[in-house]
Amino acid sequence: MRMNGVTFSLPGANLPDPTFLSLDDTNLRTSEVQGIYVNTLAQAGVLQVGDRSESNAMLRALALQRQEDHPYAGDVFFESYVIFDRPIPAFVDANDPDSFVVTHRWNACKTIAVGCISIISAGASAQVVIGTGQTHRSESRIKHIRQFRGSHPVPPACP
Amino acid sequence: MIFYVVNYELSVGSIEVLGVSSSSLLQVGDDDTISLFSMFDTPAESMIVGPLAPLQLPEGAENAEGERMPGEEHGPVTIKLR
Repeated sequence: MRMNGVTFSLPGANLPDPTFLSLDDTNLRTSEVQGIYVNTLAQAGVLQVGDRSESNAMLRALALQRQEDHPYAGDVFFESYVIFDRPIPAFVDANDPDSFVVTHRWNACKTIAVGCISIISAGASAQVVIGTGQTHRSESRIKHIRQFRGSHPVPPACP
Repeated sequence: MIFYVVNYELSVGSIEVLGVSSSSLLQVGDDDTISLFSMFDTPAESMIVGPLAPLQLPEGAENAEGERMPGEEHGPVTIKLR
């Protein structure tokens, strides 16, 4: 990975090629935040202060609530449930020239000002970003299961 | 169609959030495209009494992340990094 003459790499990380933000300085807005308070950031939650180009967040969860202990109640596989393989519905963009939309933005005021941000918790691939980005895509797939203990066989009656 | 947007002053007093969760986003700034997807599955039949359906192991179970195969020793769970 190479940026402005500085080379860096993470051995074994197998990261995709980086894409860089196309910096059009003339039409960028600056975010001004006086203060931010975050109590908890967990489970791949992200708090970013600064600009970015592309971000991709993905969450897969099997929310399993069990009456019985895990070693006795059996293993659970993501592969068993179609929700984790189901394709995302595609956005169908209009193709004819009449409904093709070209968006122009002009930022007359160059700042977005926010006083104080207070967040109790951010988690499960959530993102809190202060800054400009280009594309953001995130996806969550959650399957809920509640499993109760079945009826146990009746012990043989005493003679 | 040409859609022309002029952004004038935007200033917010304060933001108070209880929780940001499940691939959601809170952003102070601009973005060209944002696409957020969420799939939840909580049907009535997700409540199971007794063992999970006695099905055979799913296809590709041997490559499943973080699961023990039946009959294996109870060791620490290994998770493959791809």
